[in-house]
Amino acid sequence: MKYAYFPGCAIHGSAKEYAMATNAVNKYLDVELIEIRGWNCCGAIDAVYAYNPLLSISLSARNLALAENTKMGIVTLCCACFFTLSRANSMLRENVDMKGKVDKVINDAGLKYAGGVKVRHYMDILANDVGFDKILQKVTVPLKGLKVAPYYGCLIVRPIGIERFDDPEHPTSMDKVIEALAAEVVYYPDKTRCCGASLVMIDEGVMMEMTKALLLTAKNAQADCIVTPCPMCHFNLDAKQKDIESHFDLDLGIPVLYITQLIGLAFGVPSKELGLHRNLVFPDKILEKLKAPSQATPKAL
Amino acid sequence: MKHNLSRHITTQMTDPSFVEEIKKMLGGEKILDCIQCGVCAGSCHARFAMDYSPMQILKMAQLGLKQEVLSSSTIWICTSCYTCASRCPRDLNIPAIMSGFKNMVMKNNVPASIALKPKFHKTFVEIVGKYGRMYEPELKIKLINKTNPGELLRNASFGMRMFRKGKLKFQPFKLDSSTRFSEIYQRVLNQEAQK
Repeated sequence: MKYAYFPGCAIHGSAKEYAMATNAVNKYLDVELIEIRGWNCCGAIDAVYAYNPLLSISLSARNLALAENTKMGIVTLCCACFFTLSRANSMLRENVDMKGKVDKVINDAGLKYAGGVKVRHYMDILANDVGFDKILQKVTVPLKGLKVAPYYGCLIVRPIGIERFDDPEHPTSMDKVIEALAAEVVYYPDKTRCCGASLVMIDEGVMMEMTKALLLTAKNAQADCIVTPCPMCHFNLDAKQKDIESHFDLDLGIPVLYITQLIGLAFGVPSKELGLHRNLVFPDKILEKLKAPSQATPKAL
Repeated sequence: MKHNLSRHITTQMTDPSFVEEIKKMLGGEKILDCIQCGVCAGSCHARFAMDYSPMQILKMAQLGLKQEVLSSSTIWICTSCYTCASRCPRDLNIPAIMSGFKNMVMKNNVPASIALKPKFHKTFVEIVGKYGRMYEPELKIKLINKTNPGELLRNASFGMRMFRKGKLKFQPFKLDSSTRFSEIYQRVLNQEAQK
């Protein structure tokens, strides 16, 4: 299965381990992500959109046009890019006035967008193109006894204009992936509660308050880790966790894994290839727990 | 926090053209459809940091309280998480309306309640224009309050942690001219300037 891959800026920056882990598990799942050449900033959830909506939609449209040339649908790992590209895509379909303005802008730069690209998130690919059965078949190190809090975040389930693949209030696609890996999904009522997103850049105190709630709920549910498909949420939950601990005088120490890092562990991929050493809260407790009774050898591809 | 909604609203405070302005914004067409059910206010995860709830903002907008709406912290605290919009029984795209209000503030140079917020948007756009992609370290450095030693120290130690984990990119990636990216960027901004 081949897709036009839109990485987004975070994946090339602070979330490199998400791409590493995804590349590693894709080999097992026959998924091929082919990076779109010359892609640019997706257009941003709000930063560009609020400043100048036409600029944001035009930035998205450039990416959509580049993807259309590849004749494949776009897949992103980043939930924010998924939302931004989807918003532009549906607006270009529904708003004739906007379509006209954007066409003028991108045509002059030698690009054309007919509107035929489907924008999808990698979670959607896992759930619907790969399927839970196939994931289950590839498991060589069942994650038995591991308690996982599934955190979906906001932007792949809720916004208006996205390609919906899960329930906006009670998503279950990631729960099913975690169960296929033989791990236990804990009751996590905060699975779609906002982490504070870009407030990390502008009002850190508010972001910390919001992310703290997510971490505490996971801790109270006795989760061994939180799993997420979103680089922005991961930044707040993982990279900012130490700041949150010292700000609120808390002892949290909750590892936050990308969904593909968790899948990789169950497939027997070495933790180095999954970029686990790059997570700020190092998941040593998880690795020990998995090592304990039976250490399966990684299966050859 | 401001809790002055109960004060007497006089006609001098209301701007009847505000609703018409909102209707022209992307997502603002249905502003008058709000029935004040309160689902957005009850759902908002960032309500604790706002001066007015989203429901109050929508009512104030309907009444034409332009100054109050545009100077509220609410419009900047909204994270576009879409909890309110996905639950709204009247299908209002509330985050898009909030973005529209921010746009009005930035376009008309209305003083914003949270000083850093417009700076975040403006700096973000500048960096994207320069490279074609976001370069987070530059954005953060430009937004840090350099007169606050505590903030400087906290960010320095955070930067070190990121560095040790190999998460700090030292060089921005720049799209070259063959991609014709900057033509798109410049064209949109020039169009805007001509208006």
